[in-house]
Amino acid sequence: MSALLEATEVTKIYARAQHPSLNKVSFSVAKSEFIAIMGASGSGKTTLLNVLSTIDTPTSGSITIDGVNIKNLSDSGAADFRRDKLGFIFQEYLLLDSLTIFENIAVPLTLQKLPPKKIENMVRSLAEAFGIDPQLNKYPNELSGGQRQRASALRAIVKRPSILFADEPTGALDSSSATDLLNTLKESNESLNTTILMVTHDAYAASFADRILIFKDGCIIRELFRQNDDRRTFYESIAREVAKLDTER
Amino acid sequence: MHNLSMALKNLKNNFSFYALYLLSVTFVITVFFAFTSFSMNAVMLEKISNDGRVETMCNTISVFLMAFVVFYMSYSNRFFLRRRTKELGIYALLGYRKSTILSLLITENLLTCSGAFIAGILLGGFFHKGIVFGITKLLDLAVNHSEIPFFNPNAVMKTACFISAVVIVLALSNSRFLFRTSLMDLVRYEKSAEKRMSFHAVPSVIGFLAVITGYCLALDILRGAESLWLTIGFYPVGMLTSALILSGTVLFIASFLPFAVQAGKKNKRKFYTETKIITAPGFIYRIHSNSRTLIMLTLLSAATLTVSSVMALSLYYPIAAVSRMAPSEIECRIENESEITAFKQIINEYSPGDDVTFLQTDIYKVTSTAGQLPVEYSIGTSKGDSDNEKILRDAGFECIPFSNYTVLLEAQGRTKALEQLATLNNNECILIKYQPDSDNDETGNVYPLLIGNHEIPVTVTAVTLDNPISFANSVGTLIVSDDLYHMLTEQAVPAAKVLSINGKSIEDNEALFQALSEYLSGSPYLQGNSHRVHEIFSLSSSTFLLIGFLVVLFFIATGSILYFNNVSAITDSKSDYDILRKMGYTDRKIKKIIQKQTAAFFIIPFLFGLADCIFATLVYKSALMQNILKNSLVLYTPTMAAIMLTFIIYLAYYRMTVHTCCKAVLTK
Ligand SMILES: Nc1ncnc2c1ncn2[C@@H]1O[C@H](COP(=O)(O)OP(=O)(O)OP(=O)(O)O)[C@@H](O)[C@H]1O
Ligand SMILES: [Mg+2]
Repeated sequence: MSALLEATEVTKIYARAQHPSLNKVSFSVAKSEFIAIMGASGSGKTTLLNVLSTIDTPTSGSITIDGVNIKNLSDSGAADFRRDKLGFIFQEYLLLDSLTIFENIAVPLTLQKLPPKKIENMVRSLAEAFGIDPQLNKYPNELSGGQRQRASALRAIVKRPSILFADEPTGALDSSSATDLLNTLKESNESLNTTILMVTHDAYAASFADRILIFKDGCIIRELFRQNDDRRTFYESIAREVAKLDTER
Repeated sequence: MHNLSMALKNLKNNFSFYALYLLSVTFVITVFFAFTSFSMNAVMLEKISNDGRVETMCNTISVFLMAFVVFYMSYSNRFFLRRRTKELGIYALLGYRKSTILSLLITENLLTCSGAFIAGILLGGFFHKGIVFGITKLLDLAVNHSEIPFFNPNAVMKTACFISAVVIVLALSNSRFLFRTSLMDLVRYEKSAEKRMSFHAVPSVIGFLAVITGYCLALDILRGAESLWLTIGFYPVGMLTSALILSGTVLFIASFLPFAVQAGKKNKRKFYTETKIITAPGFIYRIHSNSRTLIMLTLLSAATLTVSSVMALSLYYPIAAVSRMAPSEIECRIENESEITAFKQIINEYSPGDDVTFLQTDIYKVTSTAGQLPVEYSIGTSKGDSDNEKILRDAGFECIPFSNYTVLLEAQGRTKALEQLATLNNNECILIKYQPDSDNDETGNVYPLLIGNHEIPVTVTAVTLDNPISFANSVGTLIVSDDLYHMLTEQAVPAAKVLSINGKSIEDNEALFQALSEYLSGSPYLQGNSHRVHEIFSLSSSTFLLIGFLVVLFFIATGSILYFNNVSAITDSKSDYDILRKMGYTDRKIKKIIQKQTAAFFIIPFLFGLADCIFATLVYKSALMQNILKNSLVLYTPTMAAIMLTFIIYLAYYRMTVHTCCKAVLTK
C-alpha cells in the first residue's frame, strides 16, 4: 500500500500557548482509506486538520501529500495545491449564500478552469448519483441543514480531491441527516476511491471509517482498525474504547 | 450592569468601530457648523453680496445641507446599527429587555454625538476661518479678521438644536427598528436578508427603453430649429426627458441590471470562470438588497456631475466670450480728437508703459436694398435683441476699412485670425457675424450698398466671428476694401468714431478703467477686456463658491456612502471569502473578486452620472446659453475637467475601499 499522506513528528505550538496543541504526531494514510480522528475537546483535532491541509503551518515536522512536501509551498503554491488536491467539509456547511446549489458545487471546477460543458456534466451526474438533483437550482437558505451539508460534501467531492478533510461534518445534523451524509462519504470513498480524513466526536460517525486515530493532548494515543468487522461490531468496539477514555480522565 | 457604565465599556472595547462612527458624525457637524457660521457672518456677507443674492443662496443651500446631514447621519446610524444587531440579539437572548437595550443604544449615541459635537464645533470654527481667509484672498477683500468671531454663539445654538433634533429622530427610528425586529431576526440579522429573487422582463425592458428614449430626446436638441424642444416647447420636453431618465434609471438599476446579469449567466462559457461564478450572483444579490441606496447614489452623482459641469461651463463661457464682447483692452467712442489727448494723459497717470497703441476707427453706416439681408443688418433696432440694450441703433451695415481691421487684430494679438485673411477687392467684403449660424451662410451673397446716389454691389467673400470692435459700438460690421472705404468717407460723415486702446502694460488695471469711466461719465460705449473678466469674476464668485461647496459636499456624501456600503457588504461576507481561500483561491484571485464587486458599485453611479451630465450639459449649452462663440470642443474643456476631477475622486475612493476590504478579508 502506498502512502498518500505522510506526517512525521508534526508539532504545533500556538504563540503564547504553554502546551503544544500537536506534539510530534506521526502517521500515514494510504490511498482510498477512510480515517476518523477522535478525541476530547481541545485535544488538537482541528489543529491537525488545519496543519495537514495547508491552512495553517506546523511549528516543526514534515508533511507530504501525494509526494509534495507542503512545507515548501509558497502562499499561492499552497492555494493551488488546495485547488487541485484537497477537498473540505466543515461543521457549518459554509455554502456561499448568493449562489445556487449547482453554482456552489461548480465553483471548485471553475477554479480548475474546466470547460463549461464538462463542469455541467460533472455536477449533474454527481448530483444524480447522490440524489440531490431536485435541489440544484435552489439557494442554500431554501434547504434543510442536512441537505446543505450534503451539498457541501458534494462540493468537496466533485473535483475528485486526493484527500477530503472533514471537520465534524455531522456535528450540526440530526441522526438521520447524519446517516445520509456519512453514507454519501462512504459511497464516494468506495465508488470514487476518495481518501477521507474525518474529525468526529461521535462513535457512530466514526464507525463508517476503516481506521480510527484517537487523540489526547496533542498525541495519538490509540489506533483502531475495522479489519473485517461489520459496522455494528466496529461501532461497539469504538464505543467501548471511548468509554474507557472517559473513565481514564 | 448599569447602563452608562455598560455603554462606556462598550465604547472602550469597540473603539475603532465607534471611531469610524464618531468620525463621520464629526465630519457632518464640522461642515454644518462651518456653513452656518458663514451664513451668519455679517461682515463677510456685506462684502460679497450687494443685492441679497448670496443670502438667498445661503438659505437654499442650508436646506440642502440639512437634508444632507439628516440623510448622512441616518445612513451611518443604520449602518452601525446593522453591524451590531447580532450583539444586540445576544443581549436580548441573555434576558435584557428591549427597553434596556434601547436605552443602552441611546446612551451610546448621546455619548458619541456629544463627542462629535465638541470636535465638530472646534474643527468647524477652523474650517470657517479658512473659508473666510480663502475668499478674502481670492477676491482681494479688505476684511478685519478680528471682527469675525471664532465661535458665533448663534451658529453654535443653531447647530446644537439641529443636531439634537436629528439625534432624537434617530433614537425614535432605532426604537422602531428594535421593537419591530423579532429576537430570531436580531440574532441572525446578517443572514436573514436573502429571499428568493424574482426577475421580471417587463420593468427591465421599460427601464432600458425609458433611459434610451430620454437620452435620444436630449440629443434631439442638436437638430436646432426642427427639434422637439423648439417645436413643442422647452419646458414640456424638458420635463418629459427628466421624467423618462429618472424613472428609467430607477428601473434600470432595480430591474434591468439584475435581469441582464441573470440572463448573462446562461452564457456558460462566460459564466463558468473562477471569478464570474462568484461575482455575478453576488452582484445580483447585492443589487437586490441595495437597489435603493444605489439608485440614490446614482441620482446624487448625476446631480453632482451635472451641477459641476454646468457651473464650470457657465463660468467659462462668458469669459471665453469676452474676446468677442470686448476685443480690445479698452475701447470707447470719441466725439472729437482732443479727447484722445485726455485719454493718453489718464493712461499715462495709471500705467506709464510705452507699448500702448491707440487706434481710431471711423465707422460709416451704409444701407442696402437687397431683398435678403443678414440678421446683423437690423439687429439691435428694437429692444431686447442685442448686447447693449440701452441704445437702439438704426438698421444698416457698419463699414470699416480692411487695413484698420488687420491693424486692430494685430494690436489685440489675434494672430490666428490674421493668418487666415486674404486681401479684399473693391467689390468684396467680409461680414462680421453676431452669432455662428450654420443654417444660413452668407458667403457668396451680393449686397448692393447705397453710397451717395450709387448702388455698389459687394460680394461677401467670408463671414467671420472675429469682430475687431465690441458689439456695444458696432453691430453688422462690414469690412470693405480701403478704396471703397475711401469713397465712403467722401460721401458721408462717420456714424461713430471708435478708439481702441491696446497694450500689455494696461491689462488688468481696474483703477485705470474706473478713471476712464469717470471721465466719460459712465458711457455705455466704454468697453474693456480685463474689466469684463474682472466683472464676471466678482459677480459670480460668491455663487460659485457656494455651489462649489455644495458640490464638494455631494462628492463626500457619495464617496463615503459608497465606501461604507462596500466595506460593510464585503466584511459581512468574510466567511464566504474564507471558504474560497480554503478551496484554493489565491489571495490575488480574491483581491480580484473584491475589486470587481466593488468596481460594479462605483461604476454604475459614475457612468449614469456621466451620461446624465453630458446630456444635461448639451441641452443647457444648446438651449439656455446665449451662443456667440464658434462651436468647438474647446468649449467643453470645463465639462471635461469636471468629469476628470470626478473620475479621480471616484478612483481615490475606490482604491481606498478596495484597500480596506482586502485588509479586512485577507487577514489570517
Ligand atoms: N488560534 C489559536 N491560538 C492559540 N491556541 C489555539 C488556537 N487554536 C486552538 N488552540 C489551542 O490548541 C488546542 C487544540 O485545539 P483544537 O481546536 O485543535 O481542538 P479540537 O480537538 O479541535 O477541539 P474541539 O473538539 O472542541 O473542536 C486547544 O488547547 C486550543 O486552546
Ligand atoms: Mg475542533
